[in-house]
Amino acid sequence: MRIKAKAKDGVVSVKAGLKHEMLSYDQAKKKGKEANFIVYIEAKVDGKPVYEASTSQFLSKNPFIKFKFKGEAGKELELSWIDLKGNTKSKKAKIK
Amino acid sequence: MQRRKFLGLGFGVAALSLAPISAVAKNYRKELPNAWKIKNKEAENDLTGTNEAIKAVFGNDKTEDGQIKLKAPDIAENGAVVPVSFKLEKASKVALFQSANPEALVAVWDIPEAGIPDYGVRIKMAKTGTITVVAEVDGKLYRASKVVKVTAGGCGG
Repeated sequence: MRIKAKAKDGVVSVKAGLKHEMLSYDQAKKKGKEANFIVYIEAKVDGKPVYEASTSQFLSKNPFIKFKFKGEAGKELELSWIDLKGNTKSKKAKIK
Repeated sequence: MQRRKFLGLGFGVAALSLAPISAVAKNYRKELPNAWKIKNKEAENDLTGTNEAIKAVFGNDKTEDGQIKLKAPDIAENGAVVPVSFKLEKASKVALFQSANPEALVAVWDIPEAGIPDYGVRIKMAKTGTITVVAEVDGKLYRASKVVKVTAGGCGG
């Protein structure tokens, strides 16, 4: 997972690249695999949510997301996701 | 007009009463399991599936134009990676739909208190179709849509 978080004038802009195959039901069928994709992405600062997305099989492979929220530099942003099979991953990044 | 005012009020009250809950994470996969299963029709720009999915996510599909700035390419050479972004002054909930894939709903965002709905995401489109963004702002629904021509499909694998 790659996260870039930059603050300017009280607004934090985040760009994040998540690593996931995002196999849709159709794609999985063709490959003889089980469908699996990220279903929920959340970002928090100081334990409070700043971004919340419920997602589907139609996000591209290795999803790339951009979002903004009110915040300051120096704090830590924690981004996490969960997929259809229940795997989770989370990563912290300092807001610059 | 009277009726609209009344409805708006109703939504406001509903939003207020939901406020304490929305401080906790809201996973629409769990909350609305059926919304994600709504199928698109075969025809390229048939929005029946999109409209049904809007109803499933927001409770109704009575939308107005405005508020949303939607950005998506006119032509996508690679349907596997179609960049879509949208921007609003404010919103409590935003959802993204398309008419190109087997199902209509792509994602639902709950905008937290600190959130600024200026979001971008990359999606897959199996063929040419219409991208629709619907946002709930002060209890009203707004819609923006754009046709994206896909020259190579994204769901073929």
